[in-house]
This record gives sequence, structure tokens and C-alpha cells, in this order.
Amino acid sequence: MNLTENNENKAICSSEIDASCRLPLLALFGGAALWLVLGLALGIVAMLSFHQPDMFADCSCLTYGHAQTAANDLLLYGFVMPAALGVILWIFARLSQVTLVLPIVPVVAANLWHLGVFVGTVTILFGGSTGHPWLEYPRAAAVLLFAAFMLISVSAAATLGFRTHRELYPSHWFLLAGLLWFVWSYGTANLFLVGNHPPRGVVQAVIGWWLTNNLLFVWLALAGIGIAFYFLPKIVGKPLASSGYALFGFLTLIFFGTWVGIPPSAPVPAWLPTVSAFGALLSIIPVIALGIVAMKTVCCAKVPCVGGSFCFIKFGVLSFVVSSLLYIGEFCPRASRVLDFTWFNVGVTQWQLLGFAGMILCGAIYEILPRVMGKELPFAKLAKLNFFLFAGGTLLFVIPLLIGGVEQGMKLRDANIPFADASAVALKFLRISTTGQLLVLLGALCLLLNILVMTIQWKLGLVKTVVSVVKDSLIEGSAYQPLPGDKEAKS
Amino acid sequence: MSDENKNCCSPETGEPTATRSSAPMWIIVVTLVLLFTGGLFLDSHSGWFDKNVYAPYQSREQLESIQPKSGEKQLLARGKAVYESVCGICHGSDGLGKPGQAPALAGSEWVMAKGASRLAHIPLAGVAGAIQVGGKDWNMNMAAMGAALPDEDVAAVLTYIRSSWGNKADAVTADDVKKVRAEIGKSPQPYSGSQLLKMPE
Repeated sequence: MNLTENNENKAICSSEIDASCRLPLLALFGGAALWLVLGLALGIVAMLSFHQPDMFADCSCLTYGHAQTAANDLLLYGFVMPAALGVILWIFARLSQVTLVLPIVPVVAANLWHLGVFVGTVTILFGGSTGHPWLEYPRAAAVLLFAAFMLISVSAAATLGFRTHRELYPSHWFLLAGLLWFVWSYGTANLFLVGNHPPRGVVQAVIGWWLTNNLLFVWLALAGIGIAFYFLPKIVGKPLASSGYALFGFLTLIFFGTWVGIPPSAPVPAWLPTVSAFGALLSIIPVIALGIVAMKTVCCAKVPCVGGSFCFIKFGVLSFVVSSLLYIGEFCPRASRVLDFTWFNVGVTQWQLLGFAGMILCGAIYEILPRVMGKELPFAKLAKLNFFLFAGGTLLFVIPLLIGGVEQGMKLRDANIPFADASAVALKFLRISTTGQLLVLLGALCLLLNILVMTIQWKLGLVKTVVSVVKDSLIEGSAYQPLPGDKEAKS
Repeated sequence: MSDENKNCCSPETGEPTATRSSAPMWIIVVTLVLLFTGGLFLDSHSGWFDKNVYAPYQSREQLESIQPKSGEKQLLARGKAVYESVCGICHGSDGLGKPGQAPALAGSEWVMAKGASRLAHIPLAGVAGAIQVGGKDWNMNMAAMGAALPDEDVAAVLTYIRSSWGNKADAVTADDVKKVRAEIGKSPQPYSGSQLLKMPE
């Protein structure tokens, strides 16, 4: 059913909805783009230690262990999460056809979130990491992130609750599940590992693997696919194809996806990795099903694709299918014997973060920003350039890591080859992959520039309005008269 | 597009909708096939959620079979191994024997005799001719299957048959076997049932 059918009751138009999201989205996206640039830069700094090991030898902040950890966390918690939360808020408001409920809450939450990321990053750089994968942020930062996420979720849920159209759209399932999923998994893992009484021994690693899988596989899939399922039909101008596949994919993803995560080589009772491998096998179903939905929606669409949002999101969905299948492959015991402890896992993680989530979020941001700000992007060409830099850069970054990982794994299995030689195999691949990282960084700069200039223009506009109001009141010496732009400024 | 949008917004396509359809049959079939395959894998590799089974071992039985044994358990494990390779072919791994060929060992009064001396003569020298087992008449022709085995193995296999399949009798030591072997001498002749009955238990 089309929303436009019951137009007569609709009192709110799209531009009002967009305007209500302006402040929270600017706060979320602006910070996200900044963290993305910083995260990628730190990632390059970390990689440089493979090319010139003594480059940052005197600065403990920038050594590999600190910089790489901080870079990974900046990508996930700094960029992907706030950007996804912003997009989720906007999608919920749009699908509900109401202005954002409690718009001030996400603004406050966005600042809390960025504060948390800042505290966490600084702590990691100065050596205060907790040492658990993807939970390196200290307790203070984790609490800030958790509180901010809860606040934004409350605003999103309230917006959903006031929706004019009762029926839920497939994006709703994914995004709502994503909101609950993060609170559940991040909260649980933090309580266990960063709390006062962490469990002892290998259980810590099990919790770490569980969280890593829930964030990097399940959460990213829920958020990324939920967002893609909103934008793809919107851009193509067709309804989302085959919601049956979508529902089946959604249910199997949340049911089996969360079992994955324990590597087959883990020193734990055999049933844990076996159940993980079982879950991984079954997770092929949602990946294929969701890919089919996207393919069927997009196919035969006559939408030009020259670096616009459409390209970003199509590339992102394709990355989802490929990177998820590679990720699932890591849990096959035979493959894992070769791939464990190599660059392969790093490559897959970066593909999931940048190639899948990053691409879809960039596409969504470029699609949303002009609407929310009420004007075109200041550098539309840079946005196009961003796509090609991101797409090319991600592939150049990730594929050498995957190939190098396989070669490294083969050599590691050969008892006649010394460990150092096996590790050195990856060096030539790392050179290519650092070039890819640089390209991605340039792309991220395009994004940051667009968002920054838009924010500055908007703030200058606000100042101009205020100045003209003050001037008018001075000249006329009379009572305050609202101007057309004033209302907008207050919202 | 809606009227309001014309009034106050740039042209905009409506909010996306979804076509209704049910999940197709093929994907459900594929899911079931994967569930079955995964189930087989889970069955063979999970050790049935036993917290003591670690990869690469796959079950509790496998672990137990490779554990070092001591005392009576070791004797029984050794006896079982000898039995399966030497005696089990005729007497059956369940000890029920084969009709017309080998009498049952399970519940046999010969096996569960108080002492093992008479019993030990059978594998060390063989049996030929008429013998009564469990109230039935047998015409046996059993070779000296145990003559070539070391005393420890014969003791182990006798202990095993005396304490398996519901049988309950005392263990046999290698010394017992050694005595019987000395009694028989270097060139054993198979005994008949009546000869055996004259011997002390």
C-alpha cells in the first residue's frame, strides 16, 4: 500500500520531517566523518610500521598495538555507529511520516557519543586499552556510548511509535532489531568483561568472540541491509521486491547469525566451535536471500549510476554478500587451518566495515544531507569522486590482504619454512594495501569536506538571519517580527 | 506525488513500499538441506556438548579409548582387544557363540567356574569331541587358539570373558595361566569334555 493514498490526514510534509532531523543528524554525521578521517589516518600510521618499523619507535602512542586498535574502534564506534544511528533516525521519521520525536535527545546523545569515542581513543593511544576485542574502550567511555545509544534508541522508538501508518516496512524490522541488538550484546559483553568481576580464563575470549560476531556480522548486517532496503526502492522508484525473501533472510539472520564467532582453532570444548560452524553454514541462507532481494529490486532499473548514492549502496550490498560469505568461510574448520592468524581475517573485517557498512552509510548520508539541509551538496563532484576513491581504495586495501593471508597461511602450515619467512610473505601485499588505505582516506576527506562546508554555510545563514532580525528591530524600533527564515532556524 | 510536497518541498518520490510475497519453496528446501548437513556435522564433531572433549577429538568414547588404563580396567581393555581378534570370530563379540560351531560364553558354566584352571586348559590345548555346555551337547573341534599367546594375554582374555555379558567370576592372573601351561607340556593335545570334567576347577 502506498503512503500517498491517505494524504488527506497527512499534516506534515517531507521538508518539515527533514528539518526536524537537521540538528541531530548534523551532530551525528559531522562527528562520524571526522572520526572516519582520523581512524583511517591512524590505520595508515599503524600500517607504516610494517614498511618502516622504526618510524614511530619513540612515540608509544603511535606504535602498532595502540594505533591499530584505536583505528579499528574509530571506524566502528566513531564512524559506522553514529552515522548509522543518524540514518536510522531519519528513516524512522520518514517512514513514520512524523517529525522526529524529542529531537533534542539525539543531539545531546550525539555529543555524549562523540565524547565517549574521544575518551576511548585517547585512552587507547596512551595504553589504557582493556585488551578485549572491540571492547578496548575503558569503562567510562563504554558507559557514555551505551547511554548515548539508549537515548538515540528512545528517540527512534518514540518516532516509530507515533507513526501514521501502522504497517511495518522491512527496513523497520532490521533497524529496530539493530537498535535492540547493540544494547543487548554491547551491554552484556561490557558487564562481563569490563565490569568488576570478569569471568576467568578462556571464557573471556569466548565472550570477546561472541561480541565481535554480533557487532561485525549481525549488527552491521541488520543496520546496513535495513538502510539499503530503504534507499534502493526509493532510488529505483519501485517497491521492494519479494518481501518473503526479506522476512526469511531477517529471521534466519537473527536466529543463526548470532551462533557464529568462535574460531575452529579456539582452545575451548569442541562443541563451541562446532556450533559456530553450524551457525555459519546456516548463515549462508540469509546472506543469499537478502542479496536476492536487493538484486531483484535493482534489476532492470534505469537509474544512471555514475558515482551517486545508488552506486554507493549497490556496491555496499554486493560487498555485504561477498564479505559475509568470506567471513562464513573462516569458520569452516578446513579453511580455518590455513586462514587463522593471517591477514585474511583483517581483510574480511575491513571489507565488512568499509566496503559494506561504510559504503552504504556514505551513500545514505549523501542522499539525506541535501534533503535535511534543504539545499544541494556544496561539492557534488567530490561526492562522486568519493565513490570511486572508496570503491577502488577498499578493493585495493582488502584484496591484497586476502590473497596475502592465504599465501601466509600456506607457508605457516609448512614446517620447513621458518615463521619469520612466512610472516614476511605478506609484506609486498601490505604495500599495495596501504595504497588502498590512502585512497579511502582521500575519499573520507571528500565526505568530511562536504559535511563541514554544509554545516558552516548553515551556521553562517543562521547568523545572517539573527543579524538581520536585530537590524530590523533596531531600524524600526518596534516589536519583534518573525521572518520566514527564523522559524527554520529555531527548529 | 503528494500535494503537500508540491507546496513546500522539492519533488520527491514517496516512501518505499514492499511487494507482498511469501518465502519461496526452494530456499526453504535449501535451508532444510543445510540444517541436515549441519546436523550431521554437529553430531560427529560436537562431542555432544561434553565439556571435556576438545578438538581434534570428537566424542567421549574416543577420548576414553585413548586414555592410559591401569589395574583391572587395563586388564579388561587388553582382554577385550585379544578376544575381538582371536576368539570373537567364532564365539561372537557378544559372547553368544555360533550355532553348531561355537558354544555361547555368556552364562556358560565352564566360563564361570570357581577357579580358572579347568577353563584355561581350553584355549591352551583346544577341545575335541563331545562336551556339554549349558545343557546342550556339542561336538567340538577347537584348536589351541591361545597356545601362541603370552600368559598375560591369556589371563586378560579369560578375565574378560569371565566378567562380560553378565558373567561374574574372579579375575585370572598370568601365574594361573603359567601353571596350566606347565601342566599341559610342550606338545598339547586337545581334550575331550569328559577329560576336562575330571580336572579340578
